Amino acid sequence: MPSSHHQNTECVPRLSASQSRRAFLCQSGGGLGGIALASMLAQETARASSTTGGVLSAPHHPARAKRVVQLFMAGAASHLDLWDFKPALIKHHGEPSDFGEHVEAFQNGLGPWKKPVWDFKAYGASGKMISEPVAPLGEVIDDMAFIHNLVGKTGVHSQATYLQATGFDRPGFPGMGCWVSYGLGSMNDNLPTFVSLPDHRGFGSNGAKNWASAFLPAMHQGTIIRPGTPNPIVDLNPPKSARFITPASENAAHSVLARLNAAHAADRDGDTRLEARIKSYELAARMQLAAPEALDISKEPAYIKRLYGLAPEGKKWPSEINAAEEADYFGRKCLAARRLLERGVRFVQIWSGNDNSFPRRNWDSHEDVERDHGPLANGMAIGTAALINDLKERGMLEDTIILWTTEFGRMPSTQGTTGRDHNPYVFTNWLAGGGIKGGVTHGESDEWGYKPLDRRNPTEVYDIHATILHLLGIDHERLTFRKDSIDRRLTDVHGHVIEELLA
Amino acid sequence: MSQFVRGVLLSLVCLSLIGTADGAEPDAADSWWSFQPLREPDVPELSLFSGGDTGDGREFTAIDRFIIAAQREKGLTLSPEADRRTLIRRLYFDLTGLPPLPEEVEAFVLDSDPDAYGKLVEQLLESPRYGERWARHWLDVVHYGETHGYDKDKPRPNAYPYRDYVIRAFNEDRPYARFVQEQLAGDVLWPHTVDGIVATGFIAAGPWDFIGHAEVPEEKIDGKVARHLDRDDMVTTTMNAFCSLTVQCAQCHHHKRDPVSMKDYYALQAVFAAIDRADREYDADPETARRRLALKKVIADLEAVIKELEASIESNKTEEIRSMEDKIAAFEKSLAKYREIEGKTRSERYGYHSQVASNQNVEKWVQVDLGRVMAVDRVALFGADEYGFADFGFPHRFRVEVSQTSDVGGDDSELLLDGSGDFPRPGASPVVIEGRGAKGRYVRITATKLWNRRQQGQAETKDWIFALSEIAVVAEGVAVSLSPEVEALDSIEAGKRWGKANVIDGIYGRYPLAERTPQGIVAWLEEDAEGQQRRAMEAMVAERDAALRARMPETLRRHGAVREQLVGARKDLGRLPEPAKVYAGTVHTGSGAFKGRGHLGGRPRPIHVLRRGDVTRPGELVRPATVAGIVPGLPAEFDLAEDHVESDRRVALAKWITHPENTLTWRSIVNRVWHYHFGRGIVDTPNDFGRLGSTPSHPELLDWLAVEFRDGGGSMKDLHRLILKSAVYKQTSRNRAEDAEIDGSNQFLWRQNRRRLEAEAIRDAVMAVAGKLDLTMYGPSFMDFVIEKPEHSPHYEYHKADPNDPATHRRSIYRFLVRSQPQPFMDTLDCADPSELVDKRGETNTALQALAMLNNMYVVRMAEFFAERVRLEEDSVRRAFALALSRQPTAEEHRTLAAYAEAHGLSATCRLIFNLNEFSFVD
Repeated sequence: MPSSHHQNTECVPRLSASQSRRAFLCQSGGGLGGIALASMLAQETARASSTTGGVLSAPHHPARAKRVVQLFMAGAASHLDLWDFKPALIKHHGEPSDFGEHVEAFQNGLGPWKKPVWDFKAYGASGKMISEPVAPLGEVIDDMAFIHNLVGKTGVHSQATYLQATGFDRPGFPGMGCWVSYGLGSMNDNLPTFVSLPDHRGFGSNGAKNWASAFLPAMHQGTIIRPGTPNPIVDLNPPKSARFITPASENAAHSVLARLNAAHAADRDGDTRLEARIKSYELAARMQLAAPEALDISKEPAYIKRLYGLAPEGKKWPSEINAAEEADYFGRKCLAARRLLERGVRFVQIWSGNDNSFPRRNWDSHEDVERDHGPLANGMAIGTAALINDLKERGMLEDTIILWTTEFGRMPSTQGTTGRDHNPYVFTNWLAGGGIKGGVTHGESDEWGYKPLDRRNPTEVYDIHATILHLLGIDHERLTFRKDSIDRRLTDVHGHVIEELLA
Repeated sequence: MSQFVRGVLLSLVCLSLIGTADGAEPDAADSWWSFQPLREPDVPELSLFSGGDTGDGREFTAIDRFIIAAQREKGLTLSPEADRRTLIRRLYFDLTGLPPLPEEVEAFVLDSDPDAYGKLVEQLLESPRYGERWARHWLDVVHYGETHGYDKDKPRPNAYPYRDYVIRAFNEDRPYARFVQEQLAGDVLWPHTVDGIVATGFIAAGPWDFIGHAEVPEEKIDGKVARHLDRDDMVTTTMNAFCSLTVQCAQCHHHKRDPVSMKDYYALQAVFAAIDRADREYDADPETARRRLALKKVIADLEAVIKELEASIESNKTEEIRSMEDKIAAFEKSLAKYREIEGKTRSERYGYHSQVASNQNVEKWVQVDLGRVMAVDRVALFGADEYGFADFGFPHRFRVEVSQTSDVGGDDSELLLDGSGDFPRPGASPVVIEGRGAKGRYVRITATKLWNRRQQGQAETKDWIFALSEIAVVAEGVAVSLSPEVEALDSIEAGKRWGKANVIDGIYGRYPLAERTPQGIVAWLEEDAEGQQRRAMEAMVAERDAALRARMPETLRRHGAVREQLVGARKDLGRLPEPAKVYAGTVHTGSGAFKGRGHLGGRPRPIHVLRRGDVTRPGELVRPATVAGIVPGLPAEFDLAEDHVESDRRVALAKWITHPENTLTWRSIVNRVWHYHFGRGIVDTPNDFGRLGSTPSHPELLDWLAVEFRDGGGSMKDLHRLILKSAVYKQTSRNRAEDAEIDGSNQFLWRQNRRRLEAEAIRDAVMAVAGKLDLTMYGPSFMDFVIEKPEHSPHYEYHKADPNDPATHRRSIYRFLVRSQPQPFMDTLDCADPSELVDKRGETNTALQALAMLNNMYVVRMAEFFAERVRLEEDSVRRAFALALSRQPTAEEHRTLAAYAEAHGLSATCRLIFNLNEFSFVD
């Protein structure tokens, strides 16, 4: 949409949600606004209560939740330094590590036992111990449910990222958000159903394939949104260089297109695709208005910006990684997520950390846990705590599931002098909101945080996925898509709903 | 199944958990349609039918008779033939993926030749555009991509020769059996042909786990998993693409529905057990290939002779000569310290590497602590060896300071080098700075003009750094043993490779310092120890040679002569043109974790049945074999000698697939071709002819086509002719309510299917009608993105491409295909995902597609070019319409568009035309 900033005094801020949207459309001036406005506002009341496009006509069982936020820490965040308190590591810090068995480490990071980098403190009624950088989450600790005995399959970033994101350790499978979109459809008619908010410094392992629809229809693919950029969705607006496109030409183009396409379709009855394509242009016009409005945080009150850890616009940051900057980045994504969820987006994925390059801006702390994990974890915790609190205040936490995950954990032994190697043998996830029982822990790791305490009964990603689908009203064994002889599902042939985590 | 067992399962288990956990051994004698022998059915006699089908003067082909016979049973009738405007647009897109020119449309409409249609079919089949169009279909099926996928999604710059091969094979109408055989084993069946080699790019077309191979050795579990998944992809692609048999379902249990056992599946893995995905060298010129092969043989023979002569010399050496040789060996050992340490013995410790700065004039420093205040004689600095540079990161300008206190630069500091001018690039030589006895405890090197971080031969980046391999300080006559407390303003501390402590580890570049003792360094710096030793050794060698010559003159003369021949042969080899490369399935000879099987003479890896698909639970060892019962009368196990080589396995599989009696191969390919002509196959699951796939809508027609195709020599173009000349193909796509009532999905083809164009056809058509399409064929792919941060996982930045760059105006088949970051425009338009085996393109209608067609910078720019193309026409709107849609606008359409053009300009009008439904659909 061409930017055209008429100053219209009739557009008054500080109105109700629907009124302020009207005001926004008004401010956005010409372009497609005229066409889209009527149909958009007409649908306003229906928005977020009706759903369309899902393969399930009705949920398999009553749903506890409608929406999901998946927080993905790319690079493998250390369970030992954030969530999973291990006094034995403090006691035996610096002693040669002894796992009691042969260990295949990714980079042979099997130096002495290494104590957590930070102190742990108990929070909330549950008394759950978490570490200093994630202390902001102490405030909502009783909403969170921890799984400390999650196991992976390999210590290779790419396979492990695929596994957490798609349920398979290879390319070619749809992301969890795609399955949710495929099953339940959309709750809005002007924004994507599944949104991915990548780290602005780069994608994690496997890039966009972690939210690709693979064999599912492309409409279920995660849409990349980059809040705060001129084109937050690819091709949302014409390129700036195309001066021949004006609000007036755009407006007229849509009506001419609709007219000529309708005549074309009328002459070719019985082909619903032609109608669908005409409708897709109306949808596109609505999205051009809805997306910038959804991502415009300028009207958010100051206390909300503070809550999310946002720095003033345009702040200059030092070149070294630091917590305030990380909080600003992550907080902006969390705030964008809340605004998208409010507007009927069903699944939002927020990424922290880029691919494993240098200088590190990801969680793959082979060299120095303190240097990377400190700022990243603190930034993540500030934004996440804000999101949970904010959703709660708006009555949305009860039907929004939050999942915190990463590709695997890190070893209790030292790599080099200050780092930790990959640990696919055990790591931590936590869940909150949408039907999750807060303040509980399901499954423990052993005294070192090396493997599950009960090695015969670990938790797997399938169980996490099954539980989330369950809360959304989906039986994970019955949401399938046939592809080359196989009725594919998110949980492969595995997965058990973790009853203990259900509220 | 316990939780623990579940925990170690590989994630590939198929549907239909019917029966016992592992399933029973499948029954070889199977009654399923696709496993039945291929027999040519009788063509239904159309004269047996009454009614109006034959009443309109159309000629009916054998295909029509099968179709009409089936329609009759349902009470359906064929639709009338489409008009010529519709037919030419349909044929053009179908065979070439491009629209016809308005002049071509008019000529065809007016052509009075009764065989005008037949002539057009021939013309289009002869067009090079045909191979480009149909190669793309095949590349979908084999999931061809040009990056690895997974993490570190690096480009495969040598993948394209396979894509070119597929285009060539279609254009030259390669017989299908040969097409199959070339892709699996062309390197052995046609060893001295380009196509024979590059066709094996098929085996390597799919994704590859770079980390799982290049960074994890095969002995580790993660390495085993990666290699298992790699073979799985080769087997799956081969059997799905050529046979439409989903053998991959038997990875963890016997196929539950089709006659494929786990043993069959792993026996197929054994076919590829020696193969990896890697660049393979080849000669595009067969004469060069022959010369190279001959020279290699000559060299090997000469080397054998030399070996013999040397053995004879060795056995004739006297005690005196042996003692000289011991001395020479001692010299060599000593000199080796100076010599380059290659490959695996190279130190992993490269040196110090600062954090990356975004501009060149940021100061960065690193300093060493001498432990106490000393008089400094000299400071030697060594560049780091990385990315093809011996002075990687060595700053252009720098200061050297010594300071008595930690306040370097303060009052107690002395400047040894002020770094006011650019320093010459030192290369591999040390830079020695005189200390002049300056007193200090801390020695600091401060880079004031940073070096641009890049690879040798690559363009400059935006990253500026300071790196050093080694700092050696000589003070008070000795090289100082430096304290481990190295300090730096910043440092990337990346594994062993880069760390500030590495500047005092005694290793510089690829070399160790002469001795790691302080005295050794002094000696090394002050004397030319290397030169002295070398001269002494050379004298000793001359003395030894004289002694040898005196003792066995004839043997030595021959040795000398043969060596001369050898040198000559090697020179000749070196003079041959550089071999070309193709990324292919090949026996790889590598280093590090990714060794391949080349160093074992290409001996295949032992393949075991893996219980539950788990690499830690190997069972029975399997021999290379395939699935029984598919070629009636042939056993599953290949007839291979005990001492067979790996390529025999691939040849055996290729021959089995192309066996005339194979019940799957011929049906599979004719069904695919039918699918692309009608939008749906006779079997609607082109990759799966098993029980979980669809059954054929016209089984006899499928068999008839398969037999015609096979017995006609496997000519793809003949198959097109058969189909395109049928009345079924030529009928209109218009709806008819009464037939739609009976068969709404048009399974029985009572009309042609209206087709939505694929992403490639849309992009190519946009550029073609804009007059910008560059029809240059073959060669490296164009990149419609900018690669940033190539060192690790490259960032493919599509939005930074320049739509004005003519290099990006080639046909979409030549687009560089990135797996991890698909091109957003193409991806949105349901382009094939090279991580998936795509037998059918998806077809969706989304708001993001509308946005892409409206706003993508290429479409928008092309609209402007399109406007330029028609601006000077008498009636620009009419011309634009005809170019884009292959017909003239109606009066109403013309009026509407002309009014729009009047108000908003021609570019906006052209953009609008690109967005019409009619542009993206073919009737």
